[in-house]
Amino acid sequence: MKSIFLKICTLIVLVTSPFIGSHAIAAEQSMADAKVVLQISDPSPQKQTIVLNVASNITKHYGQGQVDIEIVAFGPGLRLLFAGNANKDRITALAGTGVKFSACENTTRNMAKKLGHAPILNSNAVTVSAGAVRIVDLVKQGYILIKP
Amino acid sequence: MNTLKKAALAAACTTLLSGTVSTALAANWLMLQGTEAADAAPRAKVWGFIQTKYQKDFSDANASGGYIPPKLVGPDLNSQESFSVNRARIGLRGTGMPLDSNVNYFLLVEFGNNGITQPGNAFAKVTDASITLNHIPGARIRAGLFKTPGSEEVYQGIAIFDYINFTNFANQQLIERSPNDTYTANVSSQTLPVGTSLNTFTKSVSAARDTGVQVFDTFKSNNWEHSYSIMKGNGNGLNLSDNDGKQDTYLYWSSELITSGAGPRRKGLKMYAWSQSGKRLLDNTNDATHNPTEYDRKRSGLGAKYLSNKFRVAVEFAKAKGMIWLGPHQATFDMNPAAPVGNGENGEASAWQLDLGWYINSKWELDARYDVYNRLENDTVFPGGANIGKGFETEWKTLTLGVQYHLNKKSRLTLNYAMRDVTAVDWSAGAGPNAELDGVGDVLSMQLTHIF
Repeated sequence: MKSIFLKICTLIVLVTSPFIGSHAIAAEQSMADAKVVLQISDPSPQKQTIVLNVASNITKHYGQGQVDIEIVAFGPGLRLLFAGNANKDRITALAGTGVKFSACENTTRNMAKKLGHAPILNSNAVTVSAGAVRIVDLVKQGYILIKP
Repeated sequence: MNTLKKAALAAACTTLLSGTVSTALAANWLMLQGTEAADAAPRAKVWGFIQTKYQKDFSDANASGGYIPPKLVGPDLNSQESFSVNRARIGLRGTGMPLDSNVNYFLLVEFGNNGITQPGNAFAKVTDASITLNHIPGARIRAGLFKTPGSEEVYQGIAIFDYINFTNFANQQLIERSPNDTYTANVSSQTLPVGTSLNTFTKSVSAARDTGVQVFDTFKSNNWEHSYSIMKGNGNGLNLSDNDGKQDTYLYWSSELITSGAGPRRKGLKMYAWSQSGKRLLDNTNDATHNPTEYDRKRSGLGAKYLSNKFRVAVEFAKAKGMIWLGPHQATFDMNPAAPVGNGENGEASAWQLDLGWYINSKWELDARYDVYNRLENDTVFPGGANIGKGFETEWKTLTLGVQYHLNKKSRLTLNYAMRDVTAVDWSAGAGPNAELDGVGDVLSMQLTHIF
């Protein structure tokens, strides 16, 4: 009975894992050759372009599936992950190659105070409690931090 | 409503009904000048450009040694050879609150020496100051002072204009001269050095700008991009306020097949049509009373431009009706100040141009432009009523050959040589207006441009 219960729990975790905390599990289970976290935290439009370029170039170099890339946006850099961002087509394309996008919940909350409503985020973005903490966690997991 | 106006309005309505709203920064002048990249624009981007110029006019004086404005270097019109700072503009643009892409602004100030700053010897002049609201899908709203959608030659960002000087039609009919508030006597041709200034305008040229409100947007459909604009403005150029209680209406439509690239030099085939109509006040009676008369001013045109990595082909047609300046400062015939004169207030003009460009490599570019402009093509009767069968129609033909060397993507050296032929078509050589026009000759100009 206990064995059946454990199997059911394991099955539930495996089935639901793509929807909750998917980044963490993917990172821990990754067999990729390289793991990179890209930070964007300033408002510069050029930085938005550079971060996406770097993600694209790393993917091309290692090959799709051979590298784990996660872009963490917080502070003014969160604008990259706004739903209407001019780079949204590039974000969709990169997400299609496996690049992950994390949006800082603290920043979202602060921006909501200024805007009067929560910003609408890109559907490819996954909310994390704090962008900086997310980067620390990923570095602990062996990710290399790049801040273009 | 004329045909071009109808076509522009119909196309605008069709676009509104059939397209899908584009939220990305569209690479057309309507969008490049009026909007910012969504959620990717700075709070305040400092930008601008400087154009330093050398020009030599090889025109000959008339029989008595006098020169008319087309034979001199503008805007001061007192020499045939000059170094100048043609344009020096600096501006700010962006989204004041970067979190809200629904609002953006555009500010630009001119410090160079040209028709914008020369009248009144102004130190600087604001040429653009606008706010755009992007809240309504398919109907962005831009309010303030900004370029009015129209001829591609004038509407494009002037910093990337492939020639140094405008075509004759654009210079005379689109870069509008505002009438002085009171009657201003004509100035006859002047010997050098100029004793009496040939440029007695007291207000800046319009620089193809107006203060008003514009509704516009761009719609994408596969590789096509359709844009429209409807605008109401004061019809008073850079003067920032209305002066006659009448407003101008501006209509614009463009469709572009995009082949590659983005930004100002995006590759593709663009087609467009435009129309501008309004009223102008002109005090053209030689008395001490301020008694201006109201005249129609209409401009319209259509064109197409194909741009690839290797070459460029562009063609434009345009028409003008009313308020056709014949001289440097008033709507009378300046080139032969003795009466009779042509009827510029109700005159008509038309023009066309063919522009070719060959991009040899990333550094060198060859350009060639041929423009033909018929001024007062409806003029057959003198204002006094005496029909002598000769009007004051003048035909301006110019072939401009150019070479551009791009030092980098933001800096280039442009060399132009313009071969001009101007004739009053109903008059023999040396007779009537041709006494002044016969000597209009070639122009050599060089310009260094740096965009920052």
